[in-house]
Amino acid sequence: MESTRNEIGSGLNINSTYTDKFKSNYLAVYMIRPLDRDEVTLNSLLPMILERGTRRYPETLDLKRRLEDLFGANLNISSSRRGERQIIRFSMEWADGRYTGEEGLDREILKMLREVIFDPYLEDGFFSRKYLEQEKKNLITRINNKINDKRTYSINRCIEEMCRGERFSIYPGGYVEDVAKIDEKVLYEHYRKVLLTSQIEIIYTGHDNQMGIEDIIPDELLKRDQVSYVPRETIIDKSQNRNQIIEKMPVTQGKLVLGYRAGIPYEDRLYNGLLLGNEIFGGGPNSILFKNVREKHSLAYYVTSSIVKHKSIILLDAGIEFQNYQKTIDLINRGLEDMLKGNFSDEDMEIAKKSVRTSSESIIDSPQLMSEFTFGKIIANDERSLEEMIRQLEDVTREDIVQAMGKVNLDTIYFMDGLDREVQDENN
Amino acid sequence: MRTIRNENLREEIYHQELENGINLYYFPKKGFTKKYAIFTTNYGSTDNKFVPLEGKEPVELPEGIAHFLEHKLFEEPDEDLFQKFSSQGAYVNAYTNFNQTSYLFYSTDNFYENLQLLVKFVQSPYLTDENVEKEKGIIAQEIQMYQDNPKWVVFFNTLKAMYHRHPVRTDIAGTVESIYRISREDLETAYNTFYNPGNMVLFVVGDLDKDEILRTVESAGKEYPATLEKVQRIVDNEPDEILLKSIEDRMMTSKPLFNIGIKDNELGMSGRDAVKKDITTNIILDMLFTNSSEFYNELYTEGLVDSSFGAYYTGKRTYGHSLIAGQSDNPQEVFRRIMEMFQMPDSYMTEEAFQRIKRKEIGGFLTGFNSIEFIANNLTDLYFQDFLLIDYLDVLNEITFDDITRRFKRHFVEDKSVISIIWPEMQSDNS
Repeated sequence: MESTRNEIGSGLNINSTYTDKFKSNYLAVYMIRPLDRDEVTLNSLLPMILERGTRRYPETLDLKRRLEDLFGANLNISSSRRGERQIIRFSMEWADGRYTGEEGLDREILKMLREVIFDPYLEDGFFSRKYLEQEKKNLITRINNKINDKRTYSINRCIEEMCRGERFSIYPGGYVEDVAKIDEKVLYEHYRKVLLTSQIEIIYTGHDNQMGIEDIIPDELLKRDQVSYVPRETIIDKSQNRNQIIEKMPVTQGKLVLGYRAGIPYEDRLYNGLLLGNEIFGGGPNSILFKNVREKHSLAYYVTSSIVKHKSIILLDAGIEFQNYQKTIDLINRGLEDMLKGNFSDEDMEIAKKSVRTSSESIIDSPQLMSEFTFGKIIANDERSLEEMIRQLEDVTREDIVQAMGKVNLDTIYFMDGLDREVQDENN
Repeated sequence: MRTIRNENLREEIYHQELENGINLYYFPKKGFTKKYAIFTTNYGSTDNKFVPLEGKEPVELPEGIAHFLEHKLFEEPDEDLFQKFSSQGAYVNAYTNFNQTSYLFYSTDNFYENLQLLVKFVQSPYLTDENVEKEKGIIAQEIQMYQDNPKWVVFFNTLKAMYHRHPVRTDIAGTVESIYRISREDLETAYNTFYNPGNMVLFVVGDLDKDEILRTVESAGKEYPATLEKVQRIVDNEPDEILLKSIEDRMMTSKPLFNIGIKDNELGMSGRDAVKKDITTNIILDMLFTNSSEFYNELYTEGLVDSSFGAYYTGKRTYGHSLIAGQSDNPQEVFRRIMEMFQMPDSYMTEEAFQRIKRKEIGGFLTGFNSIEFIANNLTDLYFQDFLLIDYLDVLNEITFDDITRRFKRHFVEDKSVISIIWPEMQSDNS
């Protein structure tokens, strides 16, 4: 499996990996935007309007049906947060002709993706007002839906409180109050700006069908002169707020989230120590938290910690009984102290290394994961191969882990509490 | 090992029944780094009434027992299984659904050591009164986590409305009350009956050596004093009719959520017939409710549904239903429109739509073969319906438009349809 990277224009690259391992091909186009309050809602709306129609297929139905005809070529457009960047990703996955019995559909699929991204359905030079009004409503619903998943909602609330004043606190799905002022002209002008100024990465994984991936890019984009690159995130190493936020809601189970700052940039040699330290602390079923909070004290079903790489933040969350709030926090604090004292075995370290290695090695079994991995390396300016990354993890020592975890400090606690908590306490 | 090959798919699978009765299948996936094994007993949440292995009288155990047992099998007297698997570079997990309990792991190396460990631990329970008690708090938190999930609640309410007494209407993990009634003895009774080789299957997927797999599993398998050919399960007679036309609840959601359930009465099938019915029904649902359908588009344009709208069918020998799910400010109107459409489906149920959706299904199935999890999980699910996944494409290809119209008339009727709604309960900061 060999990968190539070609610059075909300013801030515009094609990254290809040819392999016959898969039964399908996967092509993704990433556009990199700053995570910014002024454009986050526009970027969230953009995929929704582009999916409605193209010049050749103005009716959404016709577009969807054409894709189904192409053996269900799977078009996906999304916007998401990656550190303090907002990524608009267009992807297409389709079954390879060697298996469907109809070869030669690749060029048509490529053309479809090109049209969806670069040749949208327009009315008088702007997006369709009818489509836009529908999608604005849908976006509002989507944003309001964040309350439906209590666990993710709690994590986002913790980030919001903890990173107040930092770009990372911006909700990547957009803001209801910003939707109203968007019209077909505003959104179209923003779309043009995205095309003309974003760094664009095209990543292909699949059979070498000689289909000319570069044809996906219209000529006008090959000679852009105003591409702006999103700078690397700033990292804060000391906790700012020491907040404790408790919100009461009609829920059955309390959702606890702890946000920590580690302040170790991913470029730093010590970052690998943090990665493994977090794994031992709360990464998986062999972690200190799983063993203590769940297995020993039966307080939670899930208790996990994970690192936000680009911000060097650790987010830990657990679902618990309301009245076990303090007890759980005490156990978590004691677990972190254990890490700092080096109270973990050599075997724990080995296990953490193996765990990270297994998940890294599995990347090459999935076209999507390979694509995301390649993209992750690009935005982190990381030129190491997967093998090199794994090798460097093997070299991490106990001292590295203790030193890295020594930098971890608690910033914000968020707790989604029940409505009738007081009543329960009185009864106890 | 016996070889079963499918030319269209260009894949093959090996099979061997071990001496102790366990069925072993190996699906080679050349060039893949990850290796996966899944060991399953045909025992799920719907099997809590049965005749025990060494008994004559049927017993009924508390709800949630299959899932409880799944948690407890990870307990060993002298070692921490999670740690052991992790130290061999494997990620281990398990899940319980209505019909099966599966134990699985994947790793990139030490595969055979891990395989041996998997086969051994599932076959050696370690249950004490103390460790059974300890698990109750953890499972109670798992149940409460689901109770806060409106999509889960709207789904189970639908089942409660459709079924009178079939156990599919009760939550897979049971209730906080029912799991506190579970004893060590209950778990032992269930284990001895259902974790019997005749009731179990092991699938292995990856770039591996078939002889080495066979040797490993043979050396790890235990001997059984008695092998059950078939477990005697007792399923109370479920009427064809639905129980309730509608069911409503309130939770903290942004918009009303709904599930429309259609109860299936064409039951009792297995093998090719069951799979054909399954695919046929799912094609119909796609023709009617996916985002390329005329009907979806009408509701979408009117703002009655959004992109979260979708449908699927699931069926086993003793139960089956189609589910149409979404969110809407006016779920009753969505229900009314769907019932109206059932009366006059001709403009939506076209041969053109059928051919198109069929092509989409073919592509989707092929793409699924990129994932060893997809392969292993679907192999397992279909195995208990007496069907081998690699023949799936052949069945899909033979479905005709006649099959579609016939099935539509039999299944998609208002009498068998229910609606479940979760209305939003707004959050409040007053306490």
